Amino acid sequence: MAYLFGWLLTFFFLISLLAIISYQLMCFADLEFDYINPYDSAARINMVAMPEFVIQAVFCLVCLTTGPSFMCFLSLPYLYYNFRLYRRRRHLVDVTEIYNQLNWEKKQRLVKLGYLIILLVIFIVWLLWTVGNDDY
Amino acid sequence: MGTENPGRPNFPMRPSSTPFASALPTMTPFSSRGPMVGSEASNIRPIPPGAPPTMTPFSSAGSSPPTRFSDPSVPSPPITSVPSAGGPFQQYPTPPFPSTVQTTPTRAPPVGQPPFQPPANQISAPPVSFRPQSQVPPVPMVSAPQTVNFPPSSLNVPQPPSESLFSGPRPNFQPTLPPPDLSYSTTKSTFQPPFPAYPSKQPAVSQVPSPFPAQQGSFMPPPPASSSPFSSQQGSYVPPPPIAAPLGYQSRDQMQHPGSAPPIGGIQTLTEDFSSLSLASMPGSIEPGLDYRTLPRPLDGDVEPSSFVEMYPMNCDPRYLRLTTSAIPNSQSLVSRWHLPLGAVVCPLAEAPEGEEVPVINFASTGIIRCRRCRTYVNPYVTFTDAGRKWRCNICSLLNDVPGEYFANLDATGRRIDLDQRPELIKGSVEFVAPTEYMVRPPMPPLYFFLIDVSISAVRSGMIEVVAQTVRSCLDELPGFPRTQIGFITFDSTIHFYNMKSSLMQPQMMVVSDLDDIFVPLPDDLLVNLSESRNVVETFLDSLPSMFQDNVNVESAFGPALKAAFMVMSQLGGKLLIFQNTLPSLGVGRLKLRGDDLRVYGTDKEHILRLPEDPFYKQMAADLTKYQIGVNVYAFSDKYTDIASLGTLAKYTGGQVYYYPSFQSGIHGEKLRHELARDLTRETAWEAVMRIRCGKGIRFTSYHGNFMLRSTDLLALPAVDCDKAYAMQLSLEETLLTTQTVYFQVALLYTASCGERRIRVHTAAAAIVTDLGEMYRQADTGAIVSLFCRLAIEKTLTNKLDDARNSLQVRIVKALREYRNLYAVQHRLGARMIYPESLKFLCLYGLALSKSVPLKGGYADAQLDERCAAGFTMMALPVKKLLKLLYPSLIRIDESLLKPSAQADDFKNIMKRLPLVAESLDSRGLYIYDDGFRFIIWFGRMLSPDIAGNLLGPDFAAELSRVTLHQHDNEMSRRLMGMLKKLRESDPSYYQLSYLVRQGEQPREGLLLLVNLLEDQMGGTSGYVDWIMQIHRQVQQNA
Repeated sequence: MAYLFGWLLTFFFLISLLAIISYQLMCFADLEFDYINPYDSAARINMVAMPEFVIQAVFCLVCLTTGPSFMCFLSLPYLYYNFRLYRRRRHLVDVTEIYNQLNWEKKQRLVKLGYLIILLVIFIVWLLWTVGNDDY
Repeated sequence: MGTENPGRPNFPMRPSSTPFASALPTMTPFSSRGPMVGSEASNIRPIPPGAPPTMTPFSSAGSSPPTRFSDPSVPSPPITSVPSAGGPFQQYPTPPFPSTVQTTPTRAPPVGQPPFQPPANQISAPPVSFRPQSQVPPVPMVSAPQTVNFPPSSLNVPQPPSESLFSGPRPNFQPTLPPPDLSYSTTKSTFQPPFPAYPSKQPAVSQVPSPFPAQQGSFMPPPPASSSPFSSQQGSYVPPPPIAAPLGYQSRDQMQHPGSAPPIGGIQTLTEDFSSLSLASMPGSIEPGLDYRTLPRPLDGDVEPSSFVEMYPMNCDPRYLRLTTSAIPNSQSLVSRWHLPLGAVVCPLAEAPEGEEVPVINFASTGIIRCRRCRTYVNPYVTFTDAGRKWRCNICSLLNDVPGEYFANLDATGRRIDLDQRPELIKGSVEFVAPTEYMVRPPMPPLYFFLIDVSISAVRSGMIEVVAQTVRSCLDELPGFPRTQIGFITFDSTIHFYNMKSSLMQPQMMVVSDLDDIFVPLPDDLLVNLSESRNVVETFLDSLPSMFQDNVNVESAFGPALKAAFMVMSQLGGKLLIFQNTLPSLGVGRLKLRGDDLRVYGTDKEHILRLPEDPFYKQMAADLTKYQIGVNVYAFSDKYTDIASLGTLAKYTGGQVYYYPSFQSGIHGEKLRHELARDLTRETAWEAVMRIRCGKGIRFTSYHGNFMLRSTDLLALPAVDCDKAYAMQLSLEETLLTTQTVYFQVALLYTASCGERRIRVHTAAAAIVTDLGEMYRQADTGAIVSLFCRLAIEKTLTNKLDDARNSLQVRIVKALREYRNLYAVQHRLGARMIYPESLKFLCLYGLALSKSVPLKGGYADAQLDERCAAGFTMMALPVKKLLKLLYPSLIRIDESLLKPSAQADDFKNIMKRLPLVAESLDSRGLYIYDDGFRFIIWFGRMLSPDIAGNLLGPDFAAELSRVTLHQHDNEMSRRLMGMLKKLRESDPSYYQLSYLVRQGEQPREGLLLLVNLLEDQMGGTSGYVDWIMQIHRQVQQNA
């Protein structure tokens, strides 16, 4: 039961991370097409930046303790990257330079998104596989 | 000398339409060319073997221009002539051509053109007009078929009219030629000896051409005359010469080919397309064969390329908009071969000289005519069709309806009949009065808010007093009377607000000491209407210095004070002037000493020192811009004040940073007074936004300067004035552009001080080309350097200084290499360095840039604050001012001071700029070094004590660091002051303070002047000659 709970938890964490990243990407796209101004855009993106980092860290922790520990290792690079951004204080977008950084920030988030999707796929495959094994 | 080509730009632009010109293409080039000098051994051959006897004088004359006139048959005229035609020689009067290392004539006749750039000739027909050479109809018209299949080698071009042909007639038109310079004859004599010594590697360059080019620099009109006469005038002047010129050509041509083929064509083509520097070492010398005297220098200051305006006369003036090249590439692949920046520098409010003001147009009820789709404003390039009922947008080519009130019939040629009453249809720069649709809120009054540091160091330096006096004296001239608003806050460890309600007798001071939770003690009356509260404001300014004279507070609550000012101003927006003397130490936004740790320098963390330390400043800057507040920062401290952080406020609000290190009112007071007064009184545009539109297929992608982007292509400029320029780079969106012309339109929407909302529109057109050579030809060094400068400074914010300098150098090298590759196949370039005439100063400015304050050296070469301040300043400078700063003028003035009648009219003559090398300094002279920001007056060691005494009065023997220059009661001193005044008036945007220095006064001389002689080698940096060698070497590597 506890395992199942752990799985569910990790699953929701993954989904929420995906949601946050997509939200940020949407904000960037809106900004690019001039639907919102840089102030609002930066505020929205920055609002969820810290939650993303925290959720990601907790996700790693949960993976390590309850769930598939290899998932934890898989997401360690991500964690380290976030940590580095935070250390350099580059985790928040800079409203004054937002247009100059737009491309880089978008690319960074697209990579994150891809990474998370791969994680999700691996996770689901692994989940199905273990469930199948259990039945057997 | 081939590198200097003063006369060229002036060369008659319009190709002559007479058939003759076309018949004699080879002649024009000669005249357009700089002196053909013997320099390049490889190119010049002393005497064509087959030359007729008349040739001899020419060849013996070597490269001297006058040869043409010293034709034996007419011996006298040359000598008696007027010395007006200094030409290229003027600039280095002493030994005009000191060594045998003359570079080849670098420009060539049109003959070579066809093979290299057929497309250029076809496509850019209009542009050609300013390039005389390309204009000249290609040789094939005249000459034998050979020229059509022009082989790369220099052999087969028809010889220019051979001597034998016109030696007869020539005397006849001799009189029509302008008398050559006397000096020529002297130079000639200096040349004679070296000439015969040239090894003649290159077969036969006849000497004929050389005379023509040399003259070129000086006598404009005559050369063409001298060329056309061969055919056209011969008929009239001379009893018909035996052979008609064209005929002679061919026969000559054929005759010569088999024999000692006149290779001249090859050289001419070569010389036509580019300029070159010879770098081959001369036999018998170890020194590189490069004479520093022959290198190109922008001694005439910035010359705006005339091509742009000439080609499209309805374009706005280049002072408003300059493209890095006025030939826009038509394909991505062409862009990728253009390694220089592709973009524009815009100075939307540049000061126009008297009589050229931008016309203001009020459409009133019609509304402003704009394209429905792309929102382009109506401009001279739109076309009216359908009997005047429709107009076609030049940018997106959409057909728009002409509103009823704007309708006018078209005449037979399709032009509107009311054209002359519509300045917007004939002028590239106009200003529209904007109706209410262009306002988010009613236009706000001009607002000046002062945030003044009153801590102990500010009091001691005397800054407060100067500021108070200056502001008081400017009250009458503040723009926008009677609506102007004004307000003050002072701060040390607390924040002082001043109630200036008009009913009060004197201002009330309110002190807020709660720095954590800033509040504004009064809802209004902190910001008052100047005309209503004039008395209170004056009382306040009078008492301000004395109010704080005993203040001993050393703290600075800058952050909270800034927030308070923001709260007061946020309703109206306006201009915030910050006077900062102490490192912010209290409350939000406090900064700490940075840059003391020497270990950081030269590492990857170095650039962090040049970035704002606390995000508070960026956030604050963003908020200020949002509320239409522009910030100007005046920083005065003698210690570190973290300009990097403070300057951010100015950077993102479209303001500027004034930095007066170790301010002392006695010394720097005058400078502050002038610059503050200028800041307060110059015409300012409020609540502005700027956008630049361009034709389909291209897009502006990055913007550089002091502003904040409000959307991808909209620059927010809370307060903008004539001293600010913005640079932008463009890129192609489509792989191939099919149109012929591309249009740019800069639109600045702003509130004028009078309260009117206006739109200033500058429109320009540029040709689209398919040929890289054409892009190079139409390049604008000023704009390129301006963009390079901004890119490099931006790079220092994220990289090491070294990287920024290197990337600059790499781009220059790449550009020159690409250029070399264009010609390497057809020409034997050998050890020469070639570059387009239009970019002849690029290398020098590149060097100057890497020696400029924001980029130079390492830790020890410039203080961190100074570096950052210079960076912020240079990011906003207009092109002319930037070039002046990069290559300052050095002027010798002692002679003109002694001359009895130095009057205003010969001011220009006196101001002859010298190359920035130590050799220019003569210890018997007195020099002014002027970089647009300060004057350094250098007293030679052996300067006559008379002059020094007259200028400095009793303290001429004192140490000059303690002496300030002021007027003494004698003619010489008055004249010097007059001179300085004139120089200052020529550029009022900054005040140039005079620093006096005596030769040998160390270390002051080194710091002030010697380090700025940028052509000299100096502690690890390369000199101009080395730099050229270095670039040349890199260009040749994997070329």
